[in-house]
Amino acid sequence: MRLLIVEDEVKTGDYLEQGLREAGFMVTLVRNGLDGHHLAMTEEFDLLLLDVMLPDVDGWRIVQSLREAKRQTPVLFLTARDSIEDRVKGLELGADDYLVKPFAFAELLARIRTLLRRGNAQVSNSEITIADLTLDLAKHKAVRGGKRINLTYKEFALLELLARRKGEVLPRSLIASQVWDMNFDSDTNVIDVAIRRLRAKMDDEFDVKLIHTVRGMGYKLDIEEA
Amino acid sequence: MRMNGGRPLSLKARVMLFVATAIGLSLILIGYLIQNAVSNHFIEQDEEELHVITKAVEDALREANTDHSHFAKTLEQAVSGHHGVYYQVLNQQLDILYFTPPFNYQIDIQTRLPEISHEALESVTWELNGQHYRGLITPVKISGNHYYVVAAIEMDFHMHFLDQFQYTLWLIMAIAAVVILSAAWFGIHQGHLPLHKLTADIASIKADRLDTRIDVHGVPSELVTLVNSFNEMLSRLELSFKRLSNFSDDIAHEIRTPLTNLITQTQVGLNKVRSDVEYQELLYSNLEEQERLAKMVNEMLWLAKSDNGLIEIEPEQLDLRRQIQDLFDYFEVLADEKNIQLNLIGQPVLVNADKSMLRRVISNLLSNALRHSPLGKTIDVAVFSELGEVGFSIKNHGEPIPALHLSKIFDRFYRVDPSRQRQSDGVGLGLAIVKSIVEAHSGRVEVQSNTTETIFSIFFPDKNYL
Repeated sequence: MRLLIVEDEVKTGDYLEQGLREAGFMVTLVRNGLDGHHLAMTEEFDLLLLDVMLPDVDGWRIVQSLREAKRQTPVLFLTARDSIEDRVKGLELGADDYLVKPFAFAELLARIRTLLRRGNAQVSNSEITIADLTLDLAKHKAVRGGKRINLTYKEFALLELLARRKGEVLPRSLIASQVWDMNFDSDTNVIDVAIRRLRAKMDDEFDVKLIHTVRGMGYKLDIEEA
Repeated sequence: MRMNGGRPLSLKARVMLFVATAIGLSLILIGYLIQNAVSNHFIEQDEEELHVITKAVEDALREANTDHSHFAKTLEQAVSGHHGVYYQVLNQQLDILYFTPPFNYQIDIQTRLPEISHEALESVTWELNGQHYRGLITPVKISGNHYYVVAAIEMDFHMHFLDQFQYTLWLIMAIAAVVILSAAWFGIHQGHLPLHKLTADIASIKADRLDTRIDVHGVPSELVTLVNSFNEMLSRLELSFKRLSNFSDDIAHEIRTPLTNLITQTQVGLNKVRSDVEYQELLYSNLEEQERLAKMVNEMLWLAKSDNGLIEIEPEQLDLRRQIQDLFDYFEVLADEKNIQLNLIGQPVLVNADKSMLRRVISNLLSNALRHSPLGKTIDVAVFSELGEVGFSIKNHGEPIPALHLSKIFDRFYRVDPSRQRQSDGVGLGLAIVKSIVEAHSGRVEVQSNTTETIFSIFFPDKNYL
C-alpha cells in the first residue's frame, strides 16, 4: 500500500512517515503543496494524507484538482483547524475523511485502514474464526476451544469489532464510537473495564491470549504474542 | 435626514433647521398681518375723510341747486380747513360743473360706473404728476337732477409713512429672527453639554477600569435611560471580562501542571543512561500527560466556540429515555465494578436536540455521578415532562456539596475539593460543557444537594408543548 504524505511541519511529517512505515505502508513524504500536487497527479498512490494549511498550494487545492482530473485516490485531511465550515468544505471538495490535530496515532491508523478497505468488497462472512475462537455473527454466538462463551450483547459487539479488524490496534475512541455510538471523548475508563471483563470470559483461562493491550494506543486481537 | 456622506444630519443642525423654518414662517406671517392692518387702517381713515367731504359737498350742492346764481360760490365754501383735499361735481353727462383746482380733469369714472350705480362706495386711487390720490365717487340725486360728487385726497404722505413703516417692520423682524435663532443655537449647545460630558466620561473608561459607573444623578432626565443602559452594558462586560481573565488564569494553571510533569520526568529520564524498559515507561507516562493536555485543549476550544455561539446544533426528535438507556449500556460495566445500581424511571418523552451533544450531556453527568457515588448505592435517573419542559434528573447518594459550591459547580475548572484536582477524572470541564450544551439548546441546568443525595437536573424546552 502506497501512501503520500504532504505535511510542511517537519516533526509531524517525520513521525508520520516513521509511524506509517513501521505500520507496514510504503510512504512518500513531501513537505510542500507544489511537490504534493505534482506527485498526486502523476503517480499512483492508494491514499493521500494532506495537511490543509500548506505554505504554497493548500490541501484543498490539491484535492480539488485531483478530483477535477477524475483521480479517485482516497484523501484524508489533517488539520489544526476544527470548524464545521472547514470540515464541510473539505468533504465537499472530495476529501474522504478529516482528522483534527492533535490526534491519536492509533486513530489515524484505524481511519487509514478503513479508507483503504472501503473500495474493496466487504467481507461479509457469517462466521469469523481466529485460532480456536469462532464467532457466529448471525446467532451472536462465541465459541472458544469448543466451549460456548456467554457474552452480553455489547460484549459480543466488542469482540466482533476486534475480530473483524484482527491485527489492527483499535484506539479506545474508535471502540467507543463503534460499539456504543459514543462519538466524543469520555472521561471514563469504560473501555478498559469492558475489555477486562471480556478477557475474563474468553481469554483468561486459555494459554494463548487473543486480546492484547498496546500501551498508549489501544487494543488489538491477534494470535501472536504482543 | 442624511448628508452626502451617509451620516445622519447632526442633532444641532436638525433642531436649527426646524426652528429656523418655524420662526421664519411665523415672522413673515406676523409681518404681513401687521403691514396689512396698518395699510387698511389708513384706507379706512382716508375713506372716512372722503365721506365727510362728500357729505359736505352734497349739502352744498343741495343748497346750490336751489340757488343757481351762487352755484360755484356755495360749492367753493363747502369744505374748508382741510389741506390736500379736492373735489368736483359732475352732471349725469359727466361734464364737470365745478372743481377745486387743480382737480379739473376727468378721472376714469365711466368704467367705474357699474360699481357706483349700486352706490357701492369703493374708494379708487390714481396717480398724476407724481402725486397719488385716493378718491370717492358718489352719485347724488337732488330734485330729479343726477350728479356725481368726486372727492379726492392726497395720499403720498400715507404711502411714504407706509414705506418707512414697512422697512422698519422687516428690519425688526430680521433682527428678531437672528436673536431667536442665536438663542436657539445657544440653547441647543447648552443642552448638548451633558452629552459632551457623558462622552468624555465614557471615553475615560479603560479595560482595567470596568468597575467605573456613570453617575446617573449627574445627567438630565432624558439621558437617564441611556446612562442606565450603558451602566448595564458595563456590568455585563465587566462580568465577561472577569470570567475571561479568570479562565485564562485557570488555563495557565491547568496547563502548567502537566507541562511541569512532562519536563521534569523527561529531564530526569535523560539524566543518565537507562534501560529500554525505563525509557518505555517514561514515554508512556509522557503520553498520558500529553493526552490529558490534548483533551483539555479540545474541550477548552469547544467551550470557547460555544461562548461565541459557534456551536452548530443539528437537532432531531429523540426519545430521551432511549438515549439514557443507551448510555446506561455504556456505563453498565463501570457501575458493576463499583456495585452501583443504575435505575431509570419515567415515561418516554421526545426531546428536540443534537444527538451527539445530548449523549455527551448524559455521559458527563453519569460519569460524574458514578465518580461521586459510594459503592453499593444506587444512581436514579428520572425522565420527566412538565409545564412545557422535558428533561431528566440524575440522583446519587454521594457526599453533600456545600451550598457555597453549588452555584459555581458548573464553572470551568471548578472543583469542590481542590485536592482532587489531579485525579484521573478528566480536566474539570465536564459540567461546564454540560451547561454550555444545554444552554445552546435553550435549556437550563439545576443542581441541589443535601445530606443524603445530590441531584442534577436538566431541562429542555418542550417543542411539542402548546
